[in-house]
Amino acid sequence: MTAGTDVVVSAEHVSKWYGQVIGLNDVILKVPAGITGLLGPNGAGKSTLMKLITGQLKPSKGVLTVLGEPIWHNAPIFSRIGFCPEQDAFYERMTGLEWVTALVGLNGQGETASREMAARALETVGLSDVSGKRIAAYSKGMRQRVKLAQAIAHDPELLILDEPLSGMDPLVRRRIIRLIKEWGRAGKSILVSSHILHEIESMTPNIVLINQGRILAEGNVHQIRDLIDEHPHTVYVKADDTRELARRFLTDDHVLSLRFEEGAVVVQTGRPDIFYTRLTDLAASGELGTIHEVTSPDDNLQAVFQYLVKA
Amino acid sequence: MTTRPSVLSSALRVFDFSLGQMLWSRRSVFLALLVGAPVLLAVVVRIFAAAGWLPVLNGAQVGGPALFGVLMWLLFVRFVVPVLGVFYGTSLMADEVDDKTITYLFTRPVPRASVLLGKYLAYLACVVMLLLPAIVIIYFLVVPVGGSIGQGFPLLAADLGMVAVGVAAYGAVFAFVGAWLKRPLIVGLVFAFGWEQTVLLIPGYLKRLTVAYYLQALVPHAMPQESALSMLMTAFQDLPAVWVSLVCLTGITLLALWMGGKAVENREFILEQ
Repeated sequence: MTAGTDVVVSAEHVSKWYGQVIGLNDVILKVPAGITGLLGPNGAGKSTLMKLITGQLKPSKGVLTVLGEPIWHNAPIFSRIGFCPEQDAFYERMTGLEWVTALVGLNGQGETASREMAARALETVGLSDVSGKRIAAYSKGMRQRVKLAQAIAHDPELLILDEPLSGMDPLVRRRIIRLIKEWGRAGKSILVSSHILHEIESMTPNIVLINQGRILAEGNVHQIRDLIDEHPHTVYVKADDTRELARRFLTDDHVLSLRFEEGAVVVQTGRPDIFYTRLTDLAASGELGTIHEVTSPDDNLQAVFQYLVKA
Repeated sequence: MTTRPSVLSSALRVFDFSLGQMLWSRRSVFLALLVGAPVLLAVVVRIFAAAGWLPVLNGAQVGGPALFGVLMWLLFVRFVVPVLGVFYGTSLMADEVDDKTITYLFTRPVPRASVLLGKYLAYLACVVMLLLPAIVIIYFLVVPVGGSIGQGFPLLAADLGMVAVGVAAYGAVFAFVGAWLKRPLIVGLVFAFGWEQTVLLIPGYLKRLTVAYYLQALVPHAMPQESALSMLMTAFQDLPAVWVSLVCLTGITLLALWMGGKAVENREFILEQ
């Protein structure tokens, strides 16, 4: 990484248009060293951002730097970057070893060194035993792993992984998650995209939420949770006397809406901190009978994500 | 900033990477069929000649050397070489984009222009490796029919050189078209079989904007007079000197490659989702 900085990707007011269609809209982003998850639903702009970060696309507006350097028209920087694209595209006739060797060769390595590096990378992703097979004969999971192998083979400082767990079975998925965490611990910076929150959550607490071409939030998972506390928060309260409970909350300014469900009341509040304090007080007083269950779908990170995406 | 690798050394790496792919691609099957047909025709001619039936052109029997000249003119210069240029040249980048494999090449520390150059060199090697031996086989099959192999050898060498230069020039022009345009095949076909064929018939300077004009000057055989079109072309023929043609074809090749490289460097290749 560039000396004196711990930001591996920096986007300043970056926008990308495809004709009349906005792919990315005024993105301001600083991706720190370490593992960062890029989260967003399909079509959120993740791939556009990944393509901009890997220099495949040029920003329509704004400044984008990777490892402290502009990425567009900067071929040499790719010796420091490994990219695992989303698309299931290969030179199908080649074997896994031939393919990775050829790609490492483009990094300037000699034939022998390339072959050794490729073999090592294939071993890391658990494909040694099938490295001599044609890629056309690989399963979906193997194809994903061979893509990872070509990304890591030249030992880059920054790994950019676009939906790397897609199509993998649970065991391989676990293995790859472990590998990503190991690479992170080994000092690599990794930007990994996914539309599945628990995948990212299992790799890193540092996330960036993106939707409709905009960055919704970025930071630590806990910061994201704090952020959600600033927004309307839904709480499901299962209690003996839901009518009285609702009546007590109805007069509170922070309560935005109330609705009844079977044996429960669902409260939407703008100040969850005040709400939880008051609810705890009410439960402790015993005035309303027993409060059986207090759950908030917003406590689940998936819900936080969905909430922010809808906001 | 990290040191920029040279275009040529990077192109050689891309060449290594691409040659095997190209040789075993579906396009090579097409190429084999395209050059296999004239070889088959030559075999038939040879069989008939052995039985005493010589080919007839414009009512007169023609010998092997003349027939070889006709094949070079009408089949290779007018058809095979431009067709190969169009189909291979326009696909150098388009195939990578359609197959979505271009990402792997553009996220490596090689200048983008070297990807085009490396693939162009692979095209050149692939086509020359398949086309020139076919011409040599045709020569050995056809020329002995009423002619001498030894005497025609300098002509064969000139033919091979001319075809190689033609393959290089057409390939470079269509590599540029392929790098520049999103749907290059139609434009390539219109250029090769519309623009070039038409303009060659029109007196004036326009024909200098074709590859065929310069390539014609390198053909060591006389143009066959088998049709009114050929006679018309002969009437308007003002072929440049061989050295002028060579210089112009080299210039066209280099200019097209340079422009193609620039187009690849500056163009965003958006892969369809």
